[in-house]
Amino acid sequence: MSDDHEHEHHHHLRESETYYAARTKALESLFREKGLIGTDTVDRVINFFEHEMGPFNGAKVVAKAWTDPAFKARLLADANKAIAELGMRDGIEGENLKVVENVPGTHNVVCCTLCSCWPWPLLGLPPYWFKDPVFRARVVREPRGVLSDFGVTLPDESKIEIWDSSAQVRYFVIPERPTGTEGWTEEKLAALVSTEAMQGLGLATA
Amino acid sequence: MKVQHYLGGIENLGPVSVEKRVFVEPWEAQLFAVHTTMMGTGIWAWPDLRVLAESMNPLDYFKYRYYIKWLGGMCKFLISRNYISEKELEAKTKYYLENPEAAQPNAGNNDVTERVIEYFYTGANPYRDVAVNPIFKVGDTVRVKDMPPAVHTRLPGYLRNRTGVVETVYKGAYLYADNVPTDGICTAQPVYLVKFKTRDLWDDIPDKGDVLYNDCFEVYLEAA
Repeated sequence: MSDDHEHEHHHHLRESETYYAARTKALESLFREKGLIGTDTVDRVINFFEHEMGPFNGAKVVAKAWTDPAFKARLLADANKAIAELGMRDGIEGENLKVVENVPGTHNVVCCTLCSCWPWPLLGLPPYWFKDPVFRARVVREPRGVLSDFGVTLPDESKIEIWDSSAQVRYFVIPERPTGTEGWTEEKLAALVSTEAMQGLGLATA
Repeated sequence: MKVQHYLGGIENLGPVSVEKRVFVEPWEAQLFAVHTTMMGTGIWAWPDLRVLAESMNPLDYFKYRYYIKWLGGMCKFLISRNYISEKELEAKTKYYLENPEAAQPNAGNNDVTERVIEYFYTGANPYRDVAVNPIFKVGDTVRVKDMPPAVHTRLPGYLRNRTGVVETVYKGAYLYADNVPTDGICTAQPVYLVKFKTRDLWDDIPDKGDVLYNDCFEVYLEAA
């Protein structure tokens, strides 16, 4: 094999999922050997974001806001304080939360053009679409085109308010409550609320 | 100038990805957990990771998936700070490539685990309760400065030289970072929520009455 071929082979190997998996396993193993991580840390962290800090928190907050106008007012005024009423803890990437509300005629969209700022206590971890450079490039200039890629069409007269997070605040959207859900329980309402809807890239539908 | 500082507004990129998963390969979750361990035990913080992302070849930045970039950045950082050596990382990687089913060492410090979980709940609030005298007030028209290029910035490029109106003056001061080179946000300072009309940002887009909000550190603003 010529040097060139060898180089190419090496390069290919280093760009495979098998390689990334082995390298990550190696990294965690070195951390274990050096006492920088526990044997149970990785599983505990993954479990935490599956069961404790995830979009189910945000959906619960939305359902409460839909059914309790006084709570919604407190949530819009001071989100960190309001979620504590529900026994929810804030924390990393959510020390300063700000909730905005979609109403007929005004639709909010959240993004982070510089990286991937996202309200972890309410939504867990950001999905791939939010971190994609193409989304971040396009959403501020052509939000309707991006919404259309997500299958969302707004009424012609709707104005869009875009929130580009780059400092301390992490934004969260209360979607419009779907019609025909009067009298529904909070639990049933929460099931209508997607992660995308809570950042303005989706609508809640019944 | 770094493309990563100027992503907002780039045209002709085609459809966005609507991938709704957080992790698309199992190793990404494992890598993420190592990253949060580094955060929770003070090995690094967000600005370190962002500096590395912004120092990447911009074409690679578009080319590689999110956690592939993280993997490269984390290894680079850990080697440069002597937490691990390149040699041992290469050797271990080779070992797991050749023995994919081999177990990981049954060693470690399990005290780290609860420390990391507790960190998720305490976070790292950049708020600083220091006396500040904000230069601007609600309703003021402000212009975003064209800051000199920096290793790291929190100023979205498309806002440079644009004019907006102060919507909120946040209470107190905020410290972005003090361990990486930035364009003036390594000291605690007021932050303002500034409202822009998107037609003032791009005059060739249809006028739909849309607005854009951004939180601007005081050093990025001047009176207009």
